[in-house]
Amino acid sequence: MKIKKAVITAAGLHQQHLPLQTLVSPTGKTKTIAGFLLDEIFANGIDAAAIIIAPGTEGDFSSAVADHLEKVTFIEQSQPLGYGHAVLCAKEFTGNDPFLLMMNDHLYLSFAERSCLGQLLAVTEQADGPVSAVQPTHESKLPFYGTIGGSPVGGHHGLYEVSNILEKPTPTVAEQELIVPGLRSGNYLCLFGMHVLTPRVMKHLEKAFSGDGNLPLTPSLAATARSEKYLACEIEGLRFNIEEPYGLLRAQLGMALSGKGRDEVMGAMIELIAATRR
Amino acid sequence: MLISLITADDSATRDRSLAEACVPMDTAALLAECAELDSFRRESDNLYHRVRAIFFLQAIYRFHLPGKLPTEATGSIPFAGYEDLLCRHFEEAIDTFLEIQKKDGPCDGIASALAAAYHQLAFQTLANQVRRSVRTVRGNQWMFRMGHPTDHPLRIRPELLQQDDHLYPVLCERTPVRMDLTHSAWSDIFFLGMDFPQGARVVNVSVDLAVHGRDDKPKPPVEAYFRIIDQPVLRLTSIDLRASAKITSLADVFDFGKDHLGLLKAAVIASGIIPPGIEGSGKSLADLLARLAGPGRGIEIISSVNDIPKGSRLAVSTNLLAALISACMRATGQTQSLTGELTESERRIVLARAILGEWIGGSGGGWQDSGGIWPGIKLIEGEIAGEADPEYGISKGRLMPKHKVFSQEEIPDSARQALTDSLILVHGGMAQNVGPILEMVTEKYLLRSSAEWKARQDALGLLDQIIAALSKGDIRTLGRLTTENFRGPLQTIIPWATNHFTETLIARVSEKFGDDFWGFWMLGGMSGGGMGFIVDPSRKQEALNIIHEIMLQTKRELENALPFAMDPVVYDFDINPHGTFGALHRGEAALLPPSYYHLSLGGSLRTPPSDLSPTARAELDQFARACRTNPAFSSSVEALFDSLIPRAQEDSEEIRPLGELLKKNGFDRAQHEEIHKDLVEGRIGLAQNRLPANTTIKDVNTEDITDFTTTSPISANLGLGEKALANGEVGVISLAAGAGSRWTQGAGVCKALHPFVRLGGRHRTFVETHLGKSRKRGNEAGTTIPHLFTTSYLTHQPTRDFLDTVKDYNYPGPLHLSPGRSVGLRMVPTVRDLRFAWEEMPQQVLDEQQQKMRDSVRTALISWARGAGEASDYTDNLPLQCLHPVGHFYEVPNLLLNGTLADLLTERPQLKTLMLHNIDTLGADVDPALLGHHLASNAGLTFEVITRRLEDRGGGLASINGRPRLLEGLAMPREEDEFSLSYYNSMTTWIDVDKLLDLFDLTRHDILARNQEKITEAIRSVASRLPTYITLKEVKKRWGHGQEDVFPVLQFEKLWGDLTTLSEIESKFIVVPRSRGQQLKDPAQLDAWLRDGSSDHIESLCEW
Repeated sequence: MKIKKAVITAAGLHQQHLPLQTLVSPTGKTKTIAGFLLDEIFANGIDAAAIIIAPGTEGDFSSAVADHLEKVTFIEQSQPLGYGHAVLCAKEFTGNDPFLLMMNDHLYLSFAERSCLGQLLAVTEQADGPVSAVQPTHESKLPFYGTIGGSPVGGHHGLYEVSNILEKPTPTVAEQELIVPGLRSGNYLCLFGMHVLTPRVMKHLEKAFSGDGNLPLTPSLAATARSEKYLACEIEGLRFNIEEPYGLLRAQLGMALSGKGRDEVMGAMIELIAATRR
Repeated sequence: MLISLITADDSATRDRSLAEACVPMDTAALLAECAELDSFRRESDNLYHRVRAIFFLQAIYRFHLPGKLPTEATGSIPFAGYEDLLCRHFEEAIDTFLEIQKKDGPCDGIASALAAAYHQLAFQTLANQVRRSVRTVRGNQWMFRMGHPTDHPLRIRPELLQQDDHLYPVLCERTPVRMDLTHSAWSDIFFLGMDFPQGARVVNVSVDLAVHGRDDKPKPPVEAYFRIIDQPVLRLTSIDLRASAKITSLADVFDFGKDHLGLLKAAVIASGIIPPGIEGSGKSLADLLARLAGPGRGIEIISSVNDIPKGSRLAVSTNLLAALISACMRATGQTQSLTGELTESERRIVLARAILGEWIGGSGGGWQDSGGIWPGIKLIEGEIAGEADPEYGISKGRLMPKHKVFSQEEIPDSARQALTDSLILVHGGMAQNVGPILEMVTEKYLLRSSAEWKARQDALGLLDQIIAALSKGDIRTLGRLTTENFRGPLQTIIPWATNHFTETLIARVSEKFGDDFWGFWMLGGMSGGGMGFIVDPSRKQEALNIIHEIMLQTKRELENALPFAMDPVVYDFDINPHGTFGALHRGEAALLPPSYYHLSLGGSLRTPPSDLSPTARAELDQFARACRTNPAFSSSVEALFDSLIPRAQEDSEEIRPLGELLKKNGFDRAQHEEIHKDLVEGRIGLAQNRLPANTTIKDVNTEDITDFTTTSPISANLGLGEKALANGEVGVISLAAGAGSRWTQGAGVCKALHPFVRLGGRHRTFVETHLGKSRKRGNEAGTTIPHLFTTSYLTHQPTRDFLDTVKDYNYPGPLHLSPGRSVGLRMVPTVRDLRFAWEEMPQQVLDEQQQKMRDSVRTALISWARGAGEASDYTDNLPLQCLHPVGHFYEVPNLLLNGTLADLLTERPQLKTLMLHNIDTLGADVDPALLGHHLASNAGLTFEVITRRLEDRGGGLASINGRPRLLEGLAMPREEDEFSLSYYNSMTTWIDVDKLLDLFDLTRHDILARNQEKITEAIRSVASRLPTYITLKEVKKRWGHGQEDVFPVLQFEKLWGDLTTLSEIESKFIVVPRSRGQQLKDPAQLDAWLRDGSSDHIESLCEW
């Protein structure tokens, strides 16, 4: 399955201040967050991207992705009706094509030769249904993530067939429904904020959307898992949720420590540690 | 060979009874089997094979081997093994006992020690397995991994964090209780369900309750409330127990005995709010609450069971635990819905958590007890463990049963209504410990005793018939079947399921309602508490009141004989169609029960309004508005006022009768003050009871005793005894002054009047049994034997009234009561004595969670002793519970003082000998051979002793500095000294009346002349030469609706056996068979007593 379209959700209430936020990449280049994402998306052979934005933020986003404006479509989510609704707003853009779904508040740092997105798209090439990027995560982090239940696909390390997906489950439910053989005790496969989805997901979202009220994405992903073969692939890398407390700082540190600014940043950190006390 | 009974594939062999297999085996064969079974159980990796082998070993050493041992086989039990037992090192204890057995040969004492060790090992093994299974239930495991607040994966649901006018919403969980319609032979015990899942079946009905005549209409009796508060603490309140605590540290959450809030704490832990894994982490509770609910916030949890009395056998506590857990799980997003019913998978996880909570809290129920979570009528069945289950390969069944809720088609509304229209649900008022019953059931099941095994199958058959009758709405048949179940299978398995109270009730209800009484039905572990009477619906309304009257009347008649915790009540009930149900109340409607405010608002009212938080002010306003507008709060102002200003006169009303009682019963204030002073100054106390450490204590030599177990009576002596008996020269004294504190765990009833067992076709009291023996011996000798019962302030009037009611059981001879003439006032213990008892003396270490609970309770009791005043008078209880008898030494002097002996000597001038015995020494009778021996020996006192078993603690026959005498356990310089003594004092004593009078420097003439002054002085003189022991006793304090607390109190005693220290009277000692000398101290002994033939033996001694 070849992916040609990408959707980035950026309409969340807390994301509206992010478009102009910049970070320094491992190569020392200063970029906006959307800039990081789009560089990665287009570098992996995707032709077009839609960014779902809140009303009145297009100007800021246009400035933030100035380098890619010709390949980017802005779609306004007129009301904040949930993540699933934001995705549904891209229905016309995606049409009958599978598409990549990313979030504007997540950044990634790969441990492998391929980038995190590259790892996902490599798996997708061999698949004919949706694929979500996942990562083993300790149960104490369950309040933050969607979590999948499933079983390993024989002969493919890090690849799973998804049987269930729940949004922010409690460990009580996770232990009963989301245990994945082969994982360390107390660890679950949590979503990595990166999916390749099929048009069927849009159908499930449409079906679930009542016109008002919050429309989450996860139940429609779970419905998709029940209706078609849905894979999850483990990504070798780090995810930074910029919205979390200190999320932006961590993302920047992660980038800096894995690039050419490592020594400078480490020196600065040691100085800071020495100079400050609780 | 016996191993094949455990391992055989064919059920005919596997289900064969151990007892039958043991019958043809001699001692050597049995010991060889034991050796094989012991190796087998050590090597087997199958849990149930192992446990059955251990139970086999226990049964052989307890029941099958002792009767086949040579009578001359005596030996002592090694103290090291006993210590291992106390520390729960069962394997080590068994090894020690087996080694001694190998070295010295088998004997009764070692067999008893091995039986005790195997018994405890078996239950420990089973409990460990249940515990492991509870932890491995999916959904519970994570709670044992979480050890730091920052790792807490739960969050309070946002709906509960949104305030309306500063008021947080209130989440309310209402839960019905459950009644077990079938009582399928205790098959809901976890061990049974896990070994025999196909046999674990019950029909369980969720019911709403009301106390008839008190409450308006039935409603779910169990309520749990959850809300957020604006302080970083955990606030817990039990409305029924009138207890509340603001908890600020994690350690206090795990301290279950500190207050009456253990159940709420267990729910907080088992629900995952404060997961068990964090215990002992030393982390901050505020940090954990901040993680859950946000910085500065805390949680408040409130429980209420609407004053449903304790011991109802409707699993009120377990369903309350389940309700609390449900509310906590809803609040933390562990259920899909914050309100309404739970889904099936959620109910199952609540069940698993309730099992966990019961384990954490150190209690335990059956697996059907959380049945109130489910709606309506359901069949609960054990389930075979599958490959995916953690139990697979370990036990046949799963820990968790499956629930099938009957549909309307299966049991139509009309049938449900018919059941409601005919069943009268009651609480008889008795509160009993069912723990021993559950142990008996487990043991018998695993031993496959043939009668019990058949009964279990019969009970299963009855269950199917009960379901069929219920489906048809045929309640008359249902009543017949529940009665059949009670009379047949249940009593075959556990004869103690019934008692005299229950039997009397059934007989009276049956007499009153005739054919309209359709059946009786027992709830829970044993009858006397929760029960059901099934009547023709046309008579139900009338029966509600009549049965209540019958129960009250019967209770009044028996309340001095049986332990009642409360007056009987009748319930109104409805079948609940929802199971547990949650509701969210916001704003003005976010109210808690009125009683909560009565308990909790005192603090807010005493605080200046300006110092109150906005939430506290808003709550006060809300309560004030509710008082004006909400009918449920109409009497709240008065109630709040009462709680703010407690009534002072209650105390003085309690104290007045105590003063009168003390005066009436010969309380010696001067002596009491002296003891108080000595106690405070440390001159007397538990530690000072002991003889000096350099005392030489040895076992007696053969010449110090006459062994009646190995030698035949000398015919001349037998003739002497028979002649004395025929001449009317002998009388019997039964000591019946005690309250039987061990027998009823401090309930303060008369043990002598307890109808403890069925003999000769009906329940007999201790008094009747002793009279039965005297009647028979008298008839055989062609005479009547005078029989005296000594009584005390506690037992005299009830015994007198009781004997009047039963017309002295038509006893043909003289029958006298000898009332006590001295009494003491109990004292609050000193911390020094409590610490000595709990820290210096060997203690039975309990199971892990129970031990934690006990340690916590003990810490609380030490604080209580300090707060109440060490060695101060204990007056905070019913007056009778504050008094104590001053030791059985005084029982015989009392005869002299109160004129009973004078009456007897007037009546029987030829009287020369008295046989004195304890009320619970059932085998003691006027055996002419023993009497003849005593007469021929010319002794003043002849004491009967028996060979020691492990359970025979508290002293024995010893050679002290070369002189044989009885030594009280209290006086042993070292605990291990007792274990070197071969013989235990049975207390039965043959007394030469004249020689005893000589000791007191009195004559028959002094007695007949009733020279009180001389007699008093004589007694004081002898008493002053005997040691005074300080002892720690447990008393119950009853409160609320059937609630009980147990307090340790100090009292002093002088003991009869110490007469053996006096050289002026010659004491001799004879060894008698165990069947004659053994004592029944604890109801838990009854079953073994029935099984080992002791009961049959006693019956053979009696004539009714």
